[in-house]
Amino acid sequence: MATLNKVEQAKASFCGLDLAPRLGELSAAGWESLDEATLTIHLKWLGIFFRPVTPGRFMLRLRLPNGVLNADQLDVLAEAIDRCGSHGSADITTRQNIQLRGLLLEDMPPLMAALERVGLTSRQSGHDNPRNVTGNPLAGIDPEEFIDTRPLVDRIQAAVLGPEGPRNLPRKFNVAVGGAPDSFLLHNDLAFLPAFNDGTLGFTVMVGGFFSAQRNELAIPLGLWLPADQLPAFTLAVLRHYERQGDRSNRNKTRLMYLIDAVGLDTYRAEVVESYGAVAGAAAALALVPHDGTHLVCRAPRDICGVHAQKQPGLHWVGLHVPMGRLHADSMTDLARLARTYGSGGLRLSESQNALIADVPSDRLEALLAEPLLRHFRVDPGPLAAEAVSCTGNRYCSFALIPTKSTAQAVVEELERRLEVPHGVRTHWTGCPNACGQPYMGAIGLMGAKARKDGAMVEAVKVFLGGSMAADPRLAELHDKGIPLSELPEALEQILVERFGARPRALPA
Amino acid sequence: MLRRDGDPTGDPAQLPPPGDPGRWPWLQHLRRRPQLELAPWLTALEEGSVPAETDLLTVLAERVDSSSAPRLLAWWLQQDPPDPTLGERIGRWREASCAELLRQALMRAPQQAPLLLPLLGHQRDPADAALLSRLALAPGAAALRRAALEGLAVGLSSWPLPALRRTLTQLAADLDPQLAADAVDLLARLPQARALLLGLAAERLDPAVAARRQRRLHALPPSPLLLLVHGRSGGLIPDDLLALRDTLEQRRGASVRLLALTAAKGSPHAPLPPRPEGPEGATLVPLFLVPGGHVRHDLPAIADHWRQAGPLRRLPFLGAWRSWQQALTQEVQELARGAAAPPLLLHHPLDGALGQRYLQHLSRITGAGCRPASYSAPDPQELQLAIRSPVLALALAANRLTDSLPLELGPPLLQRPRLQRVLLEQLAALP
Repeated sequence: MATLNKVEQAKASFCGLDLAPRLGELSAAGWESLDEATLTIHLKWLGIFFRPVTPGRFMLRLRLPNGVLNADQLDVLAEAIDRCGSHGSADITTRQNIQLRGLLLEDMPPLMAALERVGLTSRQSGHDNPRNVTGNPLAGIDPEEFIDTRPLVDRIQAAVLGPEGPRNLPRKFNVAVGGAPDSFLLHNDLAFLPAFNDGTLGFTVMVGGFFSAQRNELAIPLGLWLPADQLPAFTLAVLRHYERQGDRSNRNKTRLMYLIDAVGLDTYRAEVVESYGAVAGAAAALALVPHDGTHLVCRAPRDICGVHAQKQPGLHWVGLHVPMGRLHADSMTDLARLARTYGSGGLRLSESQNALIADVPSDRLEALLAEPLLRHFRVDPGPLAAEAVSCTGNRYCSFALIPTKSTAQAVVEELERRLEVPHGVRTHWTGCPNACGQPYMGAIGLMGAKARKDGAMVEAVKVFLGGSMAADPRLAELHDKGIPLSELPEALEQILVERFGARPRALPA
Repeated sequence: MLRRDGDPTGDPAQLPPPGDPGRWPWLQHLRRRPQLELAPWLTALEEGSVPAETDLLTVLAERVDSSSAPRLLAWWLQQDPPDPTLGERIGRWREASCAELLRQALMRAPQQAPLLLPLLGHQRDPADAALLSRLALAPGAAALRRAALEGLAVGLSSWPLPALRRTLTQLAADLDPQLAADAVDLLARLPQARALLLGLAAERLDPAVAARRQRRLHALPPSPLLLLVHGRSGGLIPDDLLALRDTLEQRRGASVRLLALTAAKGSPHAPLPPRPEGPEGATLVPLFLVPGGHVRHDLPAIADHWRQAGPLRRLPFLGAWRSWQQALTQEVQELARGAAAPPLLLHHPLDGALGQRYLQHLSRITGAGCRPASYSAPDPQELQLAIRSPVLALALAANRLTDSLPLELGPPLLQRPRLQRVLLEQLAALP
């Protein structure tokens, strides 16, 4: 048996979920008794993150299956960070999720109870767990969708958090369900893409996608097709197999694709089918359909911003650009109010870190568009701002080499002042090679770095170009290994002009 | 053999320089090494042979232990000035010796206090509560005071509670609105937060702080009330008490439940309700007017029973409330006007020293005499003898005693406007 690394040793000592009943006691009595492993590893099973950059101020990451939440839930989250004053903020993540910052450990027991009251959970949202399950952000309202992913995603979450779900994966694991022509999901360990088999709509299974500092892969076809109702059990089977077979000696080589590499795709498929038989029964395993991996996803994700007609006549979704996905208590409260006042109270979050208000009747649009919040969360952001995605940056992350969000915001605004960009250009900003901001998925990817300028080391970015999430997806490749931040607007201006058809704006007379 | 491009051996001399593309993966490998000897790195930092870059310090701070953490902190504190961007990373380790280093640094370089106080609070040593409170309260630079308050925040549950409450209550009315707002937010996290926030009503708060207080109160709904009352034979509950419950429920927006004691049934060990929402649970309010057997014997048992359903806050019996005694005094004084003799308070017979002391106290503050009368078997003949004086029967609602009194002696206490108003106000204002 391979030697367990130190993280695995800590995980083997007890399950972080066992801390749940003790959370009130720990927070009331202070958390001196929590050792380093408990503080930095086990608490993440409850979604609680100790942040080395803000010791004593914790982060809570939720689970929002399919990026769906409602106004009442958003109000609870707003209240949680409002009581953190200037330390409180929230981020929309690239997994259609929300994480709250600035919390004290004393906040956690009442917050957990409040989350439960409104049907939210933060369980198993961090560390080596199946992360928030994503789906089509427009599910159920999308005139173009093949299938509503919400109930499927909900059932997958129920399965993975249920008694049969994994508690000690070797590494984190991302699952997603596509439901529309623009459901690009190949960056997930397990992605279900809509596909036909003999005229029946179901899902082809893609496996092994991930980004990291060491390796970046898009998911590949497993060679199986499933009807929709089998997704939860199949997900469970994949996770249980990975829990048993994944490598636990070297965390740098543990994501699912390494396991597929190690055993070979055919063997991996056979083992997963066997695991599925154990979960769903032998008959179900025998009924799995071989598939060539062709699917219905054929273009890059839509910009959700703006006013769009829903599939329900007379209703619209109003997509709002949330700059860099950063939210504060007052804007969250206001967003909840708008969703409640003008729509059905329903909200969605996108992987591009934006939000939309669902179910707005035609006769309410004008009033909604006149709301002050929409001057900040615009429905018509510029072509760069709309799809600018950013990781947390060094304000909250130890490893980020630059202040990602503020840099991205400033540079994008400056470029939109200087240039007319004829179409959306997706920029992905990440603070370090861990690639949380998914730089390889951007038409332009930017990664925090250091570079020498005038004899001194300064904050800089590596630039990647050519990423595409369209019909022929590809990862961005390194273009420049170190542009100082002070020179970045000029460098990106040149790239946008030369490669993306941007033109300098006419100077005001 | 030492390598610059592969798995690091842990030798500081091999660390690629800042800007080198190999540096980040090198450090990540270093971070994940099963064993890492920190001494060479600390020596290199102390000697200045390795630049103190954030990325390196981030890795080292993750790997320190109880012996190396103080050394790393001591190195950082000796920098002139310490790099503020490194402080949180290096100061995250909680250790008595680290706390002591921070205290010494505060004395040596008080100008660094804004940087050091949150780290000191993070150490969560109750011995530092007084210093943090003093610096948060004292007139001084806003940055210093806010840092002290942040120190209190990150160690919140470690500090002695009474002093912490006083500090935060005082800060809530501070002229610095950010400081005051943070203090209100911290009060909202303490046990019995609602009562603390309600207590700020008399303070002159900055409008934004007052709005923040309202938001915190809104998120802290009043606790359910369990009103422990005398019932009547047959399990009946007097109409006055039912009306009190209904009015209170409406005013508080929270459930109010009557628990009726009767002589026959004793303690109301009724089926427990679902666990009350919120961390503070329900409030048990004994609406008894004198410290008789119910207060001394039944009440603790009832409280224990209800604690099985969740957290329970037990209040003193109503007769002990200062506000109630004041209202009773005013009622007696009004009755005394023009009367030939001092008013009498008729009460259930009490035994024991506690009961006698209470009656003496009541007599002293109200100016009324106290006279026992058995509620369960009043003797109308005997009572008639006392009717030369104005009489108040110490009964909230109708019972056999009040039933037996002539109508001109007036209604039970809950039918007297002053006492009804005071009781409603007090109960409505409970957290």
